[in-house]
Parts: sequence; structure tokens; C-alpha cells
Amino acid sequence: MSAVRWGRGAAGFGRALWPAGAPGLLAEEGALGGVWGRKRSSTASPCEQDRRKDWGHAELLEVLKARVRQLQAEGVAEVTVKRVAKRVAVARAPEAGGAQPPRQAQAGAEGAAPMLSSRWAQKLDDDQRLMERRKQRLEGKLQKHVEKVAWQKQLRSEPRLLSRKLASQLQHWEQGAPRSPWEEQLAQLLQEAPQGWSGEAAAAPADRGPESRLEGQRQRLLSFFECCLLTGNLPLAHHLLVTHHSKSQQQRLLTLSMYNMVMLGWARQGSFKELMYVFFMLKDAGLAPDLRSYAAALQCMGRLDQDAGTIRRCLKQMAQDGLQLQGLFTAVPLSAEERAELLRAVRKAKPAFTPPRPPVPPPQVNTSPLLREIYAKQDPTVSYPRLHLSLKELQGLFRQQLRVEMATTVTVESVEKVPLLTKEVLHARKTLAGLRTRWRTALYRELQETKESEAHAAREGRLSLFPYLCLLSEKEIVGLLLQTLQALPAQGESLLFLAHELGLRVFKRKQLRNEVQELEQRYSKYLHLLASDTQVAEPCLPRQHWEALGAPEAPHEQPWPVSVVVQLGKQLAEVLVRAAQMPSSLAAPRSPGTLIPVLYHVYSFRSFRQIGILKPHPAFTQLLETAAERTLTFESTDVPMLCPPLPWTSPHSGAFLLSPTKMMRSVEGSQQHQLLLERCPPAELHGALDALTQLGNCAWRVNGRILDLVLELFTDKGCPRLGVPAPPSEAPRPPEGRQAPKGCLLPEVSPAEKAEMRRELARRLKVAREMQSLRADALYRLSLAQHLRHRVFWLPHNMDFRGRTYPCSPHFNHLGSDLARALLEFAQGRPLGPHGLNWLKIHLVNLTGLKKRESLQARRDYADELMEDILDSADRPMTGRKWWMEADEPWQALACCMEVAQAVRAPDPTAYVSHFPVHQDGSCNGLQHYAALGRDSVGAASVNLLPLDLPQDVYSEVAAQVEVFRRQDAEQGVRVAQVLEGFISRKVVKQTVMTVVYGVTRYGGRLQIEKRLREIHDFPQDFVWEASHYLVRQVFNSLQEMFSGTRSIQRWLTESARLISHTGSAVEWVTPLGIPVIQPYHRDSKVMIKGGLQSLTFSSSVDTSQKPNTLKQKNGFPPNFIHSLDSSHMMLTALHCYRKGLTFVSVHDCFWTHAADVAVMNQVCREQFVRLHSQPILHNLSRFLIKRFCSDPRTSKSIWVSRLMDTLLSVPKAGTFNLEQVKHSTYFFS
Amino acid sequence: MAREEAQRTDDHRVRVQTPPGWSVSLLGRPLTVLGRLRRDGNGSDGKRKMERSFALKSGAVRWMDVPAGNRRGLSDYYPHLMPSVGFGKSSSRVYRCRSETKRYITSPRVAETLVRILRGKRKSCQLFLECNPGPGILTRALLESGAKVIALESDKTFIPQLKSLGKKVNGRLEVVYCDFFKLDPRSRGILTPPIMTSDMLFQYLGIEAQPWSKGAPLKAIGILPPKNERNALWKLLHDLYSCTSVYKYGRVELNLFITEKECRKIMANPQNPGLYQALSVLCQIACGIKLLHTESCLSFGTYTANGQLAKQKHRESLEQNLCFIQLTPHKDLFTGTLTPFNYDVFFHMLRQCFMKRGAKLIDHLHSLSPIDAMHILKQIKKNKDVKVIDMYPEDFQHLFETIECYKDDNYKWLYDDFMEDVII
Repeated sequence: MSAVRWGRGAAGFGRALWPAGAPGLLAEEGALGGVWGRKRSSTASPCEQDRRKDWGHAELLEVLKARVRQLQAEGVAEVTVKRVAKRVAVARAPEAGGAQPPRQAQAGAEGAAPMLSSRWAQKLDDDQRLMERRKQRLEGKLQKHVEKVAWQKQLRSEPRLLSRKLASQLQHWEQGAPRSPWEEQLAQLLQEAPQGWSGEAAAAPADRGPESRLEGQRQRLLSFFECCLLTGNLPLAHHLLVTHHSKSQQQRLLTLSMYNMVMLGWARQGSFKELMYVFFMLKDAGLAPDLRSYAAALQCMGRLDQDAGTIRRCLKQMAQDGLQLQGLFTAVPLSAEERAELLRAVRKAKPAFTPPRPPVPPPQVNTSPLLREIYAKQDPTVSYPRLHLSLKELQGLFRQQLRVEMATTVTVESVEKVPLLTKEVLHARKTLAGLRTRWRTALYRELQETKESEAHAAREGRLSLFPYLCLLSEKEIVGLLLQTLQALPAQGESLLFLAHELGLRVFKRKQLRNEVQELEQRYSKYLHLLASDTQVAEPCLPRQHWEALGAPEAPHEQPWPVSVVVQLGKQLAEVLVRAAQMPSSLAAPRSPGTLIPVLYHVYSFRSFRQIGILKPHPAFTQLLETAAERTLTFESTDVPMLCPPLPWTSPHSGAFLLSPTKMMRSVEGSQQHQLLLERCPPAELHGALDALTQLGNCAWRVNGRILDLVLELFTDKGCPRLGVPAPPSEAPRPPEGRQAPKGCLLPEVSPAEKAEMRRELARRLKVAREMQSLRADALYRLSLAQHLRHRVFWLPHNMDFRGRTYPCSPHFNHLGSDLARALLEFAQGRPLGPHGLNWLKIHLVNLTGLKKRESLQARRDYADELMEDILDSADRPMTGRKWWMEADEPWQALACCMEVAQAVRAPDPTAYVSHFPVHQDGSCNGLQHYAALGRDSVGAASVNLLPLDLPQDVYSEVAAQVEVFRRQDAEQGVRVAQVLEGFISRKVVKQTVMTVVYGVTRYGGRLQIEKRLREIHDFPQDFVWEASHYLVRQVFNSLQEMFSGTRSIQRWLTESARLISHTGSAVEWVTPLGIPVIQPYHRDSKVMIKGGLQSLTFSSSVDTSQKPNTLKQKNGFPPNFIHSLDSSHMMLTALHCYRKGLTFVSVHDCFWTHAADVAVMNQVCREQFVRLHSQPILHNLSRFLIKRFCSDPRTSKSIWVSRLMDTLLSVPKAGTFNLEQVKHSTYFFS
Repeated sequence: MAREEAQRTDDHRVRVQTPPGWSVSLLGRPLTVLGRLRRDGNGSDGKRKMERSFALKSGAVRWMDVPAGNRRGLSDYYPHLMPSVGFGKSSSRVYRCRSETKRYITSPRVAETLVRILRGKRKSCQLFLECNPGPGILTRALLESGAKVIALESDKTFIPQLKSLGKKVNGRLEVVYCDFFKLDPRSRGILTPPIMTSDMLFQYLGIEAQPWSKGAPLKAIGILPPKNERNALWKLLHDLYSCTSVYKYGRVELNLFITEKECRKIMANPQNPGLYQALSVLCQIACGIKLLHTESCLSFGTYTANGQLAKQKHRESLEQNLCFIQLTPHKDLFTGTLTPFNYDVFFHMLRQCFMKRGAKLIDHLHSLSPIDAMHILKQIKKNKDVKVIDMYPEDFQHLFETIECYKDDNYKWLYDDFMEDVII
């Protein structure tokens, strides 16, 4: 507990220090520019004057008089005393003085200086300044105290305006309020042209320099206001707006959208007075109101039922500002109710006005030539697939999924073996339940206290966490914290991670949408497209259908800045640390019954850096272990969906029903790709949206037989060889935890032996820890599989910043290991047809990893030869000959064995309904794309772009080429080359060749080869270093020889990226399908969150105001570009397969479909590859980059830009390979 | 993904006091630089490396992919800090890309002084291990005095010169291409000379391990690498406490040149709290420290990595003094509770405590051990207001032993191997 107390002490200290500076500064200005005092005091708002009238002022005078006496005592000349006295008078309005632009205050000071010209006077002046400073400090303290008292009474709502004209207008308006209605005032106010410097403010965003530094603070402020609005803390938002507005330094942070947001809040409540205040401030800040401002004002008038005249004037002004009335209804996002109020107001002025219909999306057509076919209308050949479920079933599934998402978490039963319910276990469970009840109460209390202190901070004008803490109900937060405590690993978790995750969870949960009914109706109609027993008028893509059913989604909310996320999470973590306590008797049975903390904040040292870790008390971990509770809790978004996901209709709407999901994921905190996506015309994204929708629409089910077998192993002893992790009981266990084994304390054991014992212990602990983490991973996957057994489920997809697609659910998906993949099969079956069985057999042989260089026929024959083994594996997997266990991918092979067995035993194999996914893999897909880009004949042949009788193996060929070089060198007498004789094999070079495409360097390549060489036992290990060095050089040379085009393209890409980065931009491009890509690599910027348990410092590479990280930009470009191409190829294939009614999913360059459809898929895959590369991809890229980075006249003189221009214009020349040949290449994907 | 750092304001608020018993010659230098000791000690390269591995990378994605409660151990999760030079995986690469300047004894006068100090009046054939002899001035002097010398030279350019010297003395000089301060790198990849393991070296030299209770098997002489003295010291202490590397062969006595600044620090105690730190405690607990001699930096030559005589650029480094100290491991270091088996907890305890040196000990105890802090304090007979910098090295040892031998609780430390501190 005291660890915490210590932390809290630190926090308190920080708090006390906080509001420094500003009041003192204001006071000084007021004092120096004495002449201005009276005038200014009249501009101060009445409220402030009232406040100052109370006791605080009298005391202040007292103190100052005392100071004067002191000065006199020190023998200072009378003149000073007089000045001080004057100052006392001035001090009446020290705050108002601050409102004066500093320039004027300075002028005042300068004017005062010449009056005292003699040296003596000068000295006096110095003395006095010193005194004054002291006085100010004192004054500041008093002031603060006074203000604090006042704030506790009320939040500020009246603004203090910088423009005197506006201010007097405001005052006038307030005083005359009963006579002239506010609305008149508004009309007048609107006519005021924004002040001169508004132009400057408007131009500011273009100037990226210091502005961008403010960006982070603005984001924070905006998210604060947003949260206030969401949680009904509008007065607080207003208060902060006013306090920020009144300080010129802070006013710079305020943007139009913030004023608008607060105004909208007041409009919703129908509070015209406050709305007017904001309007005044907006004008005062020199901003020009936009559509949203008007919408808010009119809405408010609508609610208050104002008279037509005012509204008319307002509308007139709007027209003068060049804003369209129609725009109010089309360009401003409004709820139905807000719309009605707005309309009511407008109709008063213009009774005949009819609002434009909800904007019908203009017929947007994707312009990409690659997608022309997909979006061609009325194509009779189209047969989109349907699900095997009826409308009714699907509706039922929808309701299930809805329930899951509304509950936000899913509780799943663990597949861990049921413990014997001994007395001990029951007792532990009971203790645990008791503790949880206690913690719940304690957490409530702590949370409330925290909220209170945060609310207090907010009232003092700080951006506190108060509104964020109000987003979720206390019950929900307490639940979240208890869940966190439960899931905390025994070895602890870094505080930063914990904070980050907690913060993100709050953010995700608050985002849940709430128009459930509307959603249900629309979804139900949408299902007509997918269900097996319904009709739609016209076949179309899911997205098109969904869009036809209603208006587009409201724009999404901005994510919070990372610093807010972490700060919030940290605050919550601290609440947890403070609240969670347990009786000490749990830890030490004999100790008295005091309470001890459950969580400890400890440090781990990495070199000179310390990492704060939250660690549970070992006794608590022990308790959890003993209780062996059998439930696991997942966030609902971490679990596959139970109904077809919502189709993707925009970069931020799709997938889960209630929880918004991003179409593109990227580095946490990165914003730039989202901005790009939003700026992109919606139609350009159709390809990506539809492909993702289609991948997500594939229905899955669990392969029950495999799951049974795996579970059997899992609950028994595991089997690491087959990828089933062993239980902790199998781990090498240290005898007594960290405690020393017996021999360790004996003096007769030598120090060296003790050191050896320590090493052994450390090794064991390491193995145990690794096993434990693998085990937990498998536990999650298998428990989810068990949970979903006998159900149909869907894996919604999104993509990374290059366009590669991934399932959203992290634990259980088809992207994982062999075991994970084997657990899944298509929920929808398809008869095998004439060739299906053959493809199953070929697939089985592929999974074994044998016969890689044989023809398809040979592989099939091989399967037939082995049929007995296959059937044996299928029938008696654990007791028979276990042929399947030797395969490269044993579990998938076993699943395939079972499928083959069932098919061959079916009365008619062609009619056998198969659910089994068959895979087709690209052979070194990255090189395939490079070879096609460069039209490399030699390279193309070695990666199977050419139709040949047997599959080619690029790795073997590189190995052969290396061998040629080696022989030459050996003849020349190169020692290493001679040593290497007989050691160069496919295996040695494979990894390096594969990764060269993705930008592995010689250094990395050498390490890979070194590893391989070490695995060869009879290789003379002394030569490893030299040999690996030599080999990596030869591999690169061989690749250069075989893929000359590839290397030149790689170099061209790298060089372009380097130059782009030097011009100060991140590399950006557009994939052939139209997805904008931007590399999120910037120099690190540090973020620091102070106070509390510990200060957290982390750096983020996504701060766009930082310069790009040239090294990463340059090294990342070639692989990222190739990935954007392979993802385009995959999406094209997916879309075309969908048109043909196929089930299609992918794991990057591995495409899956039903056995019956493999041939069709292969054909589509090849065709689309040819289509894709028939585009002038590199020239398009070059053109795009020139337009993007070289066309700005301001920078065109820069040396980097001109060099970039030269580089971009010299696109690498293509070779002579005829791309059409790919269409006939059997082994292109196989 | 990211790392954080605890606030360490304390480090920069170091008060400077005159250490009692400090010889006047040591105080010749202005003391102002001492205000920044911690930062200086880190060395710029250490800092740079840390920042590199500090980015908030695709953390959330990884976070999502790995279930809570199942994340790999911290040590896997964070990419390990690139260990500093000499502990790197690929030593050769690290070695090449770094232009390291080294100090060498170039003045015969200094060599003579040292021989006098080390040899005294002895005429017997003593064995010395000289680290980085460079041009071999001291080597020659030692040989002339009749001692046997093993020269471990990490710079190839000096090797032929030394070897030719060895031919003249009838086998009393053995020259090995080896870097003493980089022996036994932490992560063992391929080791190419000058990076070696101590086993390789000692086997080659035919030196047998001696029990701890026996005297020193050999005396090592050297100059701590000027760029990262502290790193080298930490490594030596680590080896010493864990009884590995050269200390596996017995209580090796080190005679080292070290900057005056560092020297004061390792000899500091609560009487000069400004200098007192974890390193001081560890050094004093482990060894007897004797200051043998002080010499100005000017008497040394500085060479860059390729054997070029470098000009000394910084005035500051010229004005500095180097102290020649003797570190003799205590014979009874491991006879108590502190052993090579649990020394890491002791290390951790000290690092934790000196992180906020001005804080009360009791506050640190809460993060070190779940045992009731008041109880521990009572046992070591300190009051509850005792501060970290008020504790003498022996007090820390006592504190450690008290907790380690505590009877009533099942759990003595919050530290576990998972948190294994990476030193340097």
C-alpha cells in the first residue's frame, strides 16, 4: 500500500505545482501599464467584478499595505511608495489587465521609464521591481485562492473577449437583455465582418511549421470537448472554452470545430444565452462561422420557437457569407430530431422550403480499368454465391451476435482439464469470490474519488480526464478493471502496456453505436441478398445492396491521441492498484490479519532505463491457480462473428454490428492513412471494400474430429512436435520457485558451483515461461474453437496499410499455424464434381511437403500409392501407422486424409459434399511479381510464370547458380569456396532468397545462412563466419544474374524513396486497385505522461510533424510496394471468383477454395495476374510520384526534388518476357 | 513497442562535497563537472541505442494478436536493447564500425612508477596479465623487473611489435590477440578474436582455476576504456558477483587506471552522498579498494582504433587525472547469505534503491519485497525515516541478508527471473 501512497504523494505534489505562471504574468502587465487600468476594468464582465468585490480584495489590500510599510522601512524614496500605492489601485483588476495585448502593455512600460532618468531613480526602480515580483507572487497566491473558491461555486460561462468592441457589445447586450432580444443581437453580430487577423488564422493550417506542433494539443482539446458533449458535461466544456479563450496563449489552440461543437451542445439543449456567448467568442477569435455554426444557431432557434424576423436575418447573413441553405441539410450531419428542429426554424422564415432529400449518392463508378468488368451492369454470366442458410436462420444469428456485442464481452468455458473439486479448490474459489466482492466496493469508491479530483481539476481549467471517466458507467469500468486483474500474468505486465490497453478498451467500448432498431431492419433486408431462400430484384454486390437500403453512415469520431489513451489507462490502473487489497494471511498464514496490496509496482532495469511493471502478489497468483476457474473472458470484437459481417461501405464502417472497426489498420496512433482514405473519392475504394466484404462473408465451421483429437492431446500431456503445447506440469520445474535449492546455502559448495546452479535454474525458468505462453495461446484458440463447435461463424476482415488482408479476430482464425488452420473448414459444402477428388489428393501430397518438383499427375499417383496409409491415418489417427505425423503440415494433412477417406468411400465420390478448403500457393510470390514487373525471362521461368511440364523451384536454381560460382572460385583457389564443396543446397539458400524480395540486407542474409550452416553437423564450424559471408554474396550475385530486372526495380524503388524522404515527405502511392498507401515511418517523437505511480515516457514513430525516417522509408518501400501489388492481385482474384459464385479466402499468397472449384480459381488467378501486370504499373507509379512530390512550385528548386525528378523519369526498362504465357502456366499457383 | 522510464530527477541533483580523506592532489581539478555525473557515465552511444529501440511500433496490433495473460515474457516482448559494444552478437561487425580511442601508457616514467608500486622490492617471478599494453612501454618495464607477463592486446597493429619484444625475453612474455574488457560477451554468437571467452583464453594460457579461498591466481593491469568506464565496471562486478568469466579462476586482482571522477564514485559512502551510488556499494562490498597512484592524463597516449596516435582534443580530458586503483575481491565475499546464486537480487535491490536516492528506504522496500517494510526496518535496526543515501554499503548487505533469510513469509522478493536486469 505504501508504494502506492508514495506515488500518490508525488501526484499531489505535481498538482500543487500546476497553475503557475499565468496569474503572475497578468498582474505584472496590469501594474506596468497603469494608465490602462480603469478603462479595462470597465470591459471586464460584471461577474468577475462581483467576484472580486468579496473578501479576497480587502485582504489583498491589507497585504500590499504591509509591503508598502516594509518598503518605507527600507528607506526607499517616497516616489516609490506613491507608485506602489497606485499599483494597489490598479491591482483591482489584474486579470482584466491581462486581456490587453502584450504589445500595449510594453508600450506602457516604455513610457514610464524615461520619467525617472537619474541613476538614483534607476536604482530605486530596480529595488522596487524586486519587491514587486515578491508582491506578485503573493498576489498570485491570493488570487488563486479567491478564484478557487469562486470556481467551486460555479463554472464560468461568460467569456472574456479580446476585442474591446465586441466586448462592449456583449456587455451592452447583456445589460439590455430584457429590451432587445438576443436574436437581434445575433443578427447584428453576424453582420460584423470577422476582424482583420482572421485571414491570418485561416491561412494558418497551410503553414505547417509551428502549427503542427499545436496539432497534438488541439486533438486533445477536441476529444475533451467531444467527451464532454457525450457525457452531458456541456457546462464543463463551455467553461474550458471560456478559460482557454480568455488567454491569448491558449486561444491559439481553439479551432472553429471546437466552438461549433460547444455551440451544437447548447443548441441541443435550447440554451440560447450560452450559444450566444460562444458565438461572441467565435467572432472574437476572428473566425468566420460556417454551415455547422449556422445549423447550430438555427436549430436552437427552432427549439425556442423564435420569431421569423430573426431567422430571416440569420439566413440572409448566411447567404452573404456564401453558404447555401441546402447545405445545412446535406453537408451537416444531423440526427432526425435535430433535422426536424432545424427545418422548423427555416420554415418559419421560408414556409415553402423543402429540404433536399437525404443525399442520394451520385452514381459513383470506379474508374480503375482493372475493375471495369466487376462493376459492369447487367452481366448475365454473374452468379453471386449465396449462403446455405435461410433468412430465418440468419435473422436468428443476427440477434445472437447483437446480444454478444451488446454485452461487450464473451465468456467462454476453458478446455483445460476439470480440476478435482477438492476442499482446497472450493475454498480457494470461495476466497476469490469474497475478495472480488470486496474489490468491487473498493473500486467503486476509488473511482468516485478519482472522478471527483479530476472534476475539480477540470473546473480549474485543466484538461483533466473527468469526461473520459464518465464515458462508461462505473459498473462497466469496475468490471473492466476486475477483468484486467484477473488476466494479469504472474510475472507482471509493463505499466505502459497495461495503461495503453485499458485506455483503448474504454475508447472502443464508448464507440458502440446505439441505433439498434434501425440496424436490425436494414440488416434484415440486406440478408435477402445472402439467404438461400430469398430473391433480390437484381444481383449485386453486398455493398451495393447495403448502400441501396439507406443513407450512408454518419462520419466516425476521431480517435483519441495516444497520450490521452495512455493517461486514461494509467489513471485506471492506479485506481486498480489502490483498490485491490487482500488479507495478509493469504501470503503468510501466521501473520496478523492486516490488508496488503495485491498489485505491486516494481521496476525492471534495461541498461540505464527502468521499466515499471505491475506485478500481482505471488500469493494471489497462487490463489488463482488453486481455484482453477474455468472461464475465459474475451472482448466481443476478439471473437469471430455469429452472423455475416456488415459489408464495408466506407473506411470506417463495416464488419462488427455495433463496434466500429477500421478498414485499414496501421501503427497505433497513426492518422495519416485515415486522412488519405477519407480524402479519397469513395468510388476509388470500392475494389478494396468489396474484396474485404467478400472475404468476410465466407462462412466457417469447426472441424470437430480434429478438435477432438487435439483436445485429447491438449488435456493430456501435449505434443510439442505436433504443435500442441504441453501443460505446465511437463515443464522442467525448479524445486522451490525462486528459492534456492538446498545446496545453495551450504558453505561448502563452491561459489562457482552455485553460479552453475543459478544458470540451470534460469534456464529451466525460461523454458517453463515459454511453455506457459505457448500453452495459453493454444488454450485461447482451442477454447474458442470448442465454444464455436456446432456453430457457423464468420471472420470479418480488414487490411494493413499496404492492403494485405487479415481477419479481425486475433485468437481464432485461418491465418495461424498448421493446427489453427486444420481446425477450420467451410461451413458451406460443395459436391466434389468430376475433378474434386483429384484436387484433394494433390492437396494432400502438397501438405506433406514431398514431391514438390513433380507434376500434378505424379503427385496424384503418389497419393494413390499411399492410399492405404491415408485411410489408416484417417481411421486410426492416434493408434495406427501415424503416416500423417511425418508431414510438413501434419494436422492439415490429417484433416485432408479424413476428407479423402470419406470421399473415396462415398457411393459416388463426385457427389460427395466436401467442406474442405484446398489451397493453392504462389511459388515465391514476391519474385513472381518482380519478374512480371521487369518482364524477366530467366526469372519468370524459375518462378513458374512460364508454362513448363514440371514445376520449377527457384531456390534450387539459385543454389545451382551459387554452385556454379563456387566451382569457379574453387578452381581459382579460393579457400572458402573449396571448403564449401558439397554443402550448398536448396535449404541453405531458401530463406535468404525468399526474404531478399522483402528487402533483407546482406547482413540479415548472412545471419540466416550462418544459422543454416550451423545446423549442418559435418560442416567445419570454424569456417561458418567466412562461409556465410561468402555465400550471401554469391546468393545476391546469383539473384542479380537471374533476376536482373528485379534488382534494378528494387534499386529504383529504394532510391526514389530515399529522395522522397529527403524532400521531407513520407512515401505515398496508390495501388492498382486505387487504395492510397502511405508509409507510417517518421522520426521518433517523445511523449511523456507525468505524475502518479510513475512517469511514462514513450516515443512514437507516427508523429507526422516529425521528419520521415529515411532509413525505414527507403528500406520499406520495395517490400511494401510489392505487398500492395500482391494484395491487389488477391483482391482481383477474390472479386472475380465471387462473380463466378466461388467461395474464396486467402492467406496472402495462398488462395483457398472448395476442391470442386480449384480449376476455376486457378484460371481466374492467372488471368488476373496477367491483367494486373498488363497495366503500366511502374510508369503509373512514376507519374503519380512526380505529380505528388515534384509538382509543387515552391519546392521545385530544391536539389532533392530535381534529383528525385530525374530518378523518377528513368523507369527501369522491361525485358522481353511475354506475359500472356502465364495464362497457361499450370504451376503458377499450385 | 515502447518503453518507459521512471523519473530520475535525482540523478542530476548531485551535491558536491569534498570526500573526507581524499588526497589533496585529487582535488586539484575544479569540481563543477560532477553535477552531471550520471549522464556522463552513460556515454552517448548507450543513450542513442536505447532511443532506437524505443519506438511505439505496431504495439496495438501485437497486443491484439497475443491474448492477455499470454504475452511473451517482457524480455521477448521488448526487443532487447542492443548490448553495448563487446556484448554484441556479431562482435566483428560491432568492432569494425566503431572507432574507439584507447589510452596507453607511453611514458617510461609512469611505467617505472607502476613497476615500483606493483613489484616493490620483490625479485620473484610474478605473473601479470596486462590488458591492452599498446606500444608496450609498461610491458618492457615489467619484464625488465623480472616478472612474467601475458599481454592481451585488442589492437592488431600492436601485436607484431609486442611479439618481437617477446622473442627477446625468453618466453616470459605471451602475446594474445584478445580484448580483456570484452571477454565472455553476454549473447554468445560466433566469437572471433579479439572477442573470446575466458575459458578459451585460460585454457590457451594453461592457467588452472583456484578456489575462492586461495590467493589471487594472477594480477591484471589495465586502463579502463575511456569511453565506457562504467559499462566496463558494471561488467566486471557482474562477473565477480556471479563468479564467472575471469573470476571463475579465482580472486583475480585488478590494478586499473580509472578516471578520478569514477574513482571517487566507487569509493563514496554516505559521507559524500553526492557521489554515492549503486556502483559504490557493489564495489565496496565485493572488493578491497586501494588507491595506489594518481597520474595526469597528459602522461598517456591516446590512439584511435587503427593504431594512430590521436590528438587529445578536449581540454577537459587533458586536465583529468587517472587513478591507479587496486581491486582485490574479498575472501569472505560468498561465505554469507550473498552467493552467486542470488546476487542478481542484490543488484536489483541496489539499482532500485539508487534510482531515487533521496527517497526513504521504506518507500523502496514496498517495491522490493512483499514483507512488511516496518518489520524489516526493525530487524536491521533502522528508523523509518532512513534514506537510501544514509545507508552504508554494509547496511545494504545486512538489509539484503535480512530479507533473504526472513522466516515467516513464503515470498521474500517481488523480483523474479522474468525481470532479469540487463546490465549495460
